[in-house]
Amino acid sequence: MSEPTRGRIHRAWRRIYRSVFRIGWPRTRQQRLAAMLSSLALHVHPTRVRVHVLRFSSTLGLGLVAFYLFLILIVTGLALMLYYVPHPDAAYRSMKDIQFAVTFGMFLRNTHRWAAHGMVAVVFLHMCRVFFTGSYKRPREFNWVVGVLLLLLTLALSFTGYLLPWDQLAFWAITVGTSIVAYFPLVGEPARYLLLGGHEIGQAALLRFYVLHCVILPLLMASLIALHFWRVVKDGGLAAPPGRMRRAPAWPHLLFRELLILVFVLVLVHAAALAFDAPLEQIADAARTPNPAKAPWYFLGLQELVHYGAILGGVVVPTAMIIALLVLPYVDRRGGGVGVWFARERRRANTVFALLAVVVVVLTVIGTFFRGPNWDWVWPWLR
Amino acid sequence: MSEGPPRRRVVLTLGTAGLAAGGLGLLAALARSVVPDVLYEAPRRFPIGRPEDYPPNSVTLLPERRLFVFRTAEGFHAISAICTHLGCNVNHEEGHGFVCPCHGSTYDEDGDVTNGPAAWPLPRYAMSLSRRGELVVDTRRTVDPDFRLRA
Repeated sequence: MSEPTRGRIHRAWRRIYRSVFRIGWPRTRQQRLAAMLSSLALHVHPTRVRVHVLRFSSTLGLGLVAFYLFLILIVTGLALMLYYVPHPDAAYRSMKDIQFAVTFGMFLRNTHRWAAHGMVAVVFLHMCRVFFTGSYKRPREFNWVVGVLLLLLTLALSFTGYLLPWDQLAFWAITVGTSIVAYFPLVGEPARYLLLGGHEIGQAALLRFYVLHCVILPLLMASLIALHFWRVVKDGGLAAPPGRMRRAPAWPHLLFRELLILVFVLVLVHAAALAFDAPLEQIADAARTPNPAKAPWYFLGLQELVHYGAILGGVVVPTAMIIALLVLPYVDRRGGGVGVWFARERRRANTVFALLAVVVVVLTVIGTFFRGPNWDWVWPWLR
Repeated sequence: MSEGPPRRRVVLTLGTAGLAAGGLGLLAALARSVVPDVLYEAPRRFPIGRPEDYPPNSVTLLPERRLFVFRTAEGFHAISAICTHLGCNVNHEEGHGFVCPCHGSTYDEDGDVTNGPAAWPLPRYAMSLSRRGELVVDTRRTVDPDFRLRA
């Protein structure tokens, strides 16, 4: 190749490359700041981050982990959608196909399931972190509300996904779950009818859950996540105590940490998917109730309460908890203790929240492990 | 919008109102369209066979219909097998009534709650005889516990 031709190719390649990445690989401090601003994916970050929030102990990276799990769920979910058929005659068979007739299908399904379960747990822990560090205080009140909505969306996504395998586990968990919905005064029965597209869990219900799970709820979720992230930056970055203002450039300090957490999440989820298979019981059968019939584990705390009284566990407690979470930042307006774990001036609020969180966890553990046939008490180690 | 000649203000106001009404109407139509009008579900009123299919003094579970059919000396009656608590299928225990496997609700032989979280009795459905002599259950109509169909 002649010298002028090589030069022309090189210049053309540079033009194309520069049209995509205007800054190129940034080498100076100035270029790194510019790179953070010029890329869509990067500009949701601030260009410089307070050193305090870079420390792993201040956030535990939980919000980021939840986001990564959401991304894993989108990718694996799309792949599963290529095989899954949302019809009662075909759904269960397509699940069997995914497990036994698709290369890496079982692994795909395991990854999706464990990432989903992990996301419920991590979003809950993220909420606890934000509370215990007082990070919902002014000016971050609204972002806390968005976070509560994201928690509810996570639960809704998990719940709608639970029906899709169309096995006994799915069918009866959704039977119990949608019956709880019907207990809400006035709106309960119509809401259940609308959700199921009829009176029973059949073809209409499966299709509705499928569309909610694969389109409507993920779109809502992605929009709210964008809002949540944008507000983090607009509200002055992650919460940190007022004094410590030292900042570091986001490239490389923040990006490196984010990458590290991504690797950590990928390894953990894939290890879980290799080690544990997602359960698939017998095909859904409305004539045969398994004993005991349990809701998904994150609703077993509610089911345990529902065992004492349907109105109490199904309506009063969850509604009160959601309302309390939504109004919390507007009620607790005292300043102080922001960005610090278990600040002394917030001892009372932290104690109340910790007690409630422990109650939720204990009820969930009881419902999951200590309840057997007829919802009688069992000792799990004696089974 | 408050500036300018009165006629322009009227047109703008009417236009805005029209746009809002149209938008709300579209939303209402969308909301209405997701409420199903036709259900492809099992009929709520159905035949369950001839009286002689059921031996005297027997309790028969029809799993597909989620229904118990009783034949006693006084006649026939039908009790739903769906627990009124959270929708699981109850089991019948001879002489003791019904027990729900999910949350331990118990009902007596008439379907009235004796214990547990359930708040309402198991529905007792109306029965009739068709012209062809078949027993017919109508799950849209509930009846008193002392209802019996002589057949």
